[in-house]
Amino acid sequence: MTDIQHKTFLFDATRCIDCRACMVACSVENKIPMNKTRIWVAGVGLKGEFPALERASMVYHCMHCNEPDCLSACPVGAYSKRLDGPVIYDPKKCIGCRYCMNACPFGVPHFDYDKGLIDGAFIDKCSMCTQRIDVGLEPACMATCPTGALMFGERDELLKYAHDRLTAQPARYLNHVYGESENGGTSYLILSHVPFKELGLPELSSTPVRDVSEAVMGVTIPFALGWGAVLTGTAVGVHMVNKKKEADAQKLETSEPQAEEKK
Amino acid sequence: MNLQIKIHPRFQLKPLVIILLALMGLAFVIAMVRYANGIGAVSNLSNSYPWAFWISFDLFTGVAISSGAFLMAAVVYIFELKEFRPLVRPSVLTGFLGYMMVVIALLVDLGHPERIWYMIIHWNHTSVLLEIGLCVMSYLTVLAIEFAPVVFEGIKWQKFAHFIHRFIMPFVILGVVLSTLHQSSLGSLLLIQPAKLYPLWWTPILPILFFVSAVTIGLSMIIFESSISARYFHRGLEIHLLEKLAKVIPVILAIYLLIKFSQLTLAGDLKYLFTGGLMSVLFWAEILIGVVTPLILFSIKRIRKSPNGLLIGSIILLLGMILNRFDVSWFAIQHPDPLTYMPTFMSAVHYFPSLPEVLVSVGIFSAGLLAFGLAVKYLPVFETNEDQHDIVS
Amino acid sequence: MPSTLSRRDFLKISGAAVGALVIGEFLPPWVAQAARSNGVLDASDSGYIPSMCEMCVWRCGLLAKVDAGRVVKLEGNPDHPHSNGKLCPRGQSGLMNTYDPDRVLTPLIRVGKRGQGLFRKASWEEALDLVTQNMLDIKQKYGPEAMLFSSTHNLSQVQFENLLNAYGSPNYGTQRSLCFNAMIVSNLTTYGMEEPNRKYDDLKYIILTGRNLMEAISTSETSALSQAIDRGVKVVTLDPRFTKTAAKSAEWLPIRPGTDLAFHLALINVIITEGLYNRNTVLNQTSGFDQLAAAVTQYTPEWAAPITEIPAETIRRIAHEFAAAAPYALAHNGWRTSNFVNSFQTERAIAILNALAGNWGVAMFPASGEESGVLGAPPQPAYPRVSAQRLDGVPWKYPFVPLKIGVFQELREAALSGTPYQAHGWFIARQNPAMSLPDRGRTLEAFAKMDFITTVDIIMNDTSWFSDVVLPESSYLERYDPLNIVGNKAFLRQPVIEPQGEARSALWIYKELGTRLGLGDFFQYSDEEDYLKQQLAPLGVSLDQVRQKGYVDLPGEGPDFTEPIWNTPSTKIELFSTTLDKGGFAAVPQWEEPLAPAPGQFYLLTGKVAQSTQFASQNNQLLNKYSDEPRLWMNVATAKSLGLSENDLVEVASTAGKIHIKLEATQAIRPDCVYLTPGYGHLSKGLTVAYGLGASDSDLHLTFTDPISGGQALSQTFVTVSKI
Repeated sequence: MTDIQHKTFLFDATRCIDCRACMVACSVENKIPMNKTRIWVAGVGLKGEFPALERASMVYHCMHCNEPDCLSACPVGAYSKRLDGPVIYDPKKCIGCRYCMNACPFGVPHFDYDKGLIDGAFIDKCSMCTQRIDVGLEPACMATCPTGALMFGERDELLKYAHDRLTAQPARYLNHVYGESENGGTSYLILSHVPFKELGLPELSSTPVRDVSEAVMGVTIPFALGWGAVLTGTAVGVHMVNKKKEADAQKLETSEPQAEEKK
Repeated sequence: MNLQIKIHPRFQLKPLVIILLALMGLAFVIAMVRYANGIGAVSNLSNSYPWAFWISFDLFTGVAISSGAFLMAAVVYIFELKEFRPLVRPSVLTGFLGYMMVVIALLVDLGHPERIWYMIIHWNHTSVLLEIGLCVMSYLTVLAIEFAPVVFEGIKWQKFAHFIHRFIMPFVILGVVLSTLHQSSLGSLLLIQPAKLYPLWWTPILPILFFVSAVTIGLSMIIFESSISARYFHRGLEIHLLEKLAKVIPVILAIYLLIKFSQLTLAGDLKYLFTGGLMSVLFWAEILIGVVTPLILFSIKRIRKSPNGLLIGSIILLLGMILNRFDVSWFAIQHPDPLTYMPTFMSAVHYFPSLPEVLVSVGIFSAGLLAFGLAVKYLPVFETNEDQHDIVS
Repeated sequence: MPSTLSRRDFLKISGAAVGALVIGEFLPPWVAQAARSNGVLDASDSGYIPSMCEMCVWRCGLLAKVDAGRVVKLEGNPDHPHSNGKLCPRGQSGLMNTYDPDRVLTPLIRVGKRGQGLFRKASWEEALDLVTQNMLDIKQKYGPEAMLFSSTHNLSQVQFENLLNAYGSPNYGTQRSLCFNAMIVSNLTTYGMEEPNRKYDDLKYIILTGRNLMEAISTSETSALSQAIDRGVKVVTLDPRFTKTAAKSAEWLPIRPGTDLAFHLALINVIITEGLYNRNTVLNQTSGFDQLAAAVTQYTPEWAAPITEIPAETIRRIAHEFAAAAPYALAHNGWRTSNFVNSFQTERAIAILNALAGNWGVAMFPASGEESGVLGAPPQPAYPRVSAQRLDGVPWKYPFVPLKIGVFQELREAALSGTPYQAHGWFIARQNPAMSLPDRGRTLEAFAKMDFITTVDIIMNDTSWFSDVVLPESSYLERYDPLNIVGNKAFLRQPVIEPQGEARSALWIYKELGTRLGLGDFFQYSDEEDYLKQQLAPLGVSLDQVRQKGYVDLPGEGPDFTEPIWNTPSTKIELFSTTLDKGGFAAVPQWEEPLAPAPGQFYLLTGKVAQSTQFASQNNQLLNKYSDEPRLWMNVATAKSLGLSENDLVEVASTAGKIHIKLEATQAIRPDCVYLTPGYGHLSKGLTVAYGLGASDSDLHLTFTDPISGGQALSQTFVTVSKI
């Protein structure tokens, strides 16, 4: 996993002050309508009882998985993963089936439930600000984060940074970098002071979620051909057996009258 | 050659027709609203529930209940058990209309119904949904071809009927392969949601379970459709045939039970059978209603030989299996624990279908019923064809 | 070759249309050419233009991305020390502030009754003439002092002050007494400067009293605090609420409101009695140690514990930790310190605590003044002599309050009472006293007493709603303002787009008005660019050069720490304040019992959220999208005991008024407190997004004024809460 060279986010939940500058910046940069968002905050929020309290929340957007489930699931291949990291959605191919929304373990793709046929109902999701990273800028969310809770850079560098922080401040963090291996590795790594479940993150193994589905799909064509062959063979065999039975019966019929005549 | 023109009795339920037409009209209007103002205008679907009632009812259930067609085609044409011929045409009609309803429902549910043909030109070979889409489109064509002779006979184009029938075999085989693929693939659709589908249902062998249960659903649908048709169209019930179908059902249900509980055991998920709260209840409901009860009922000869027994048994199985389809595609899909969300419109994590949402599906189903009735009235669907050319099924 | 075309001339010549012009078109051709060759704009007139934010008073430098004459994105300017390349959520939402559909883009003259919101559009000629006529009438009938001038601190303040001084009125209101008078006056009496600068780089220990930096975001300081916490600096926060700053702190002390003073007096007590203070600093840099020591002997942690509801061991421990970390320890002097009448004493205690820690030069530094002699200014005749007393009681009632700061709530009270004389007119610029002053009902009554009210604003805010004439200012992305000195640079605010509609900059408005009032000599600049050129003259740089970078470096050295000189009478840090002593007030910090709620009443707390700025930003749709619903916070257990549940509609009542609002039952607040985010409950229907949202704290707030600093006491309002 760590030898993948591409752009990655690192989110440090202990630094995030839930100011939402990232969210405003994303809305402006990507011209998102007021009733939609590509980026959101989720988590248990306030934990505990007065006065023993704690806050836990996380900034969510697309995880830009290394083995994207949306990419695997979309029937028309509207998703692609660039070599440098971003998982890109192509509205020109989308048929609006929303299977990608099911496939994504993080609930990232959002759909235009308020758009009819004329305006066109599409999926929207974080694009890693490709219009910015392609000209050497950083994604809008991370560029404006006042506390540096959102970081961006090369995956191996950020993984090293994350692990260095875990080593340097073990009391501050849970000893795990989420996204390093989950779902086969994501391009959004998370450090946290609370269990990741409390940030709303699903528990995922390092086996990519899409592996089982793809394995089954992989056997489809061989299976279909095999099954077709079996059925054809059966049909032919049954037909031949029946034909023979018929022929035998006819022989019996034609021979019996002869026997009768002979009598 | 003596053409027999049977005059079918009229529908005696005129009020029913009016109701069905009204429901169709309502669904049409709602669909127009959907096209104008978006899916959200007529349903409670949301980012938390991208698939719910429409997919569970129209796609999952709709495809499952259309599985009688390939079974009967296989039985009659591949295994040449010619005695079942009377059941082929109605089951093909049921299948054809069933799949038509699926496609029409998809035209409402898809964000871009005008792009439904993109699945033919843009292929992502890892996508289960692509496979289902292509299979359904192909199989609908196959069903159309399999049913075409009935239509041609009805309009007295005997030569066309004849022609198609000569080449029916490859289509039957294709139909069985396609059906096997997509009946099982409906289960495969859930393979990509291991974290979201409750452990009592998610398993890598979901496609196998779906196929096995689809066989029982198909057989039950034939029994059900025959029973209902006999009552409403005043025809005889081929009990001797249905009894034989019913005899097979317990065997397949037993196989299903075996596979299912072995799978749960090997996966170490038996504990969820009693600790899952509502999930456990739903699971046991499925198993008891859809598997155990019909298994017992159809093991009893007396029930198999009685019209009421057949009807009730099939209904129970269908209800239980439809519950299974709903569980897998909707009820057992886990959603995250309630969290604090910002912006607050992200907090919409609850779902219950809206009335327009349900009415669309009801209207489409009504259209299917009406089409079935019309076909029965004007086409030789229930012809047994003994006194016609042997060429027609 | 520089052209002598001024911007106004150019607009006349080209017949500039209203609306978004391609940016190159409004700049004189040779300027646009220079901008393109500098790389600021590309050939299609798109690019990044440096300017300054105005979504709050931190005024981060920004880079505005312009595309074909529209602002499409704002980024923080890495060269600006307040921003360091970042913008907070309000800064990022700034283009919605400029493109708000509710912007007032033409001068408006009232036609209906005040408060009905019925206005007609007018030309600048007509509107300015009307304002002039009224102001001259008032001057003639009642004297210039009968005209009130108030404005919240902003970059054109210098010309606002110029206007009122030239007009001859002493009555100058700013928002400061609603905010930081206690902090300013305490720093003045202790250190002889308004507010020292702070540096976080070397700190090990920080005590925050309120100062919710993670929500009341001052971008660079919020970053600095966050980075300090990152490095392992221990932060202790005193706050009756579990704010987001408290959530990041190592220790949160849910202190009883009004008792921060007791806490700090106890810290001082421990540090002095246990000899933990910095002897060198105390010996060489302070005066009055012995009086201080004598005064604090009674303020033990055991004395403070029942008052603050914080255990004595905790107080003692924190004193030890603070002293052990000294001089790398900071007691933050806060910002909004208008909480209780005793807040002044609290601020004195905090200032003294820092002195005892000896952290000058480590955590605290001299502040760079806003007015620097380095910049030029238009020539000016002497101001007319003002004989009338100020209505706000400065200095005759409040001798320690600087003239530029004033006591704003007193101004409102005097406008109501008519003593010592009745005010008749009110000129309000970039300010919303209808929402910001405590007790909104009284403010509206005061408005009713005015013969004439005129407002300069960019949107139909509540004060504009009650005005007779609204003069539309161009937004901060559409105008020039005087240069702003931050550190050793002077930063420029420049238009990044053509002003929409008829909106004009304050510099233009004040000059136009001043000229019509016969005060043209006081406004010796032809337009904004001319003004800036005069400011830049001593520096020998062209406006065009400054426009490209967005700032100009200033000559001169940095602050000198070798021999700090305190601008106090004793030239030392005054632990014992001779100034206060002369004024008959306690010269060393002393305990003053704060008012407390009666049984069944709650402290009404207010504070900040990161997604709004005071009373101005609630109409911004981008901020609204990501804002929490404004509800009344109440402790879960308290709510339960009152039979209240989450989202119940409740009535909150004080002796000033009452509001209806939804309840938020939360663990994050003391059981004896309720909290409301200020800025909601707008009365102006011209704010189509904000109108009807939430309720106003000002309807509830009572008016109190600290006699020393003139600060309001915003947390001294007690309320009842009941189900509707």
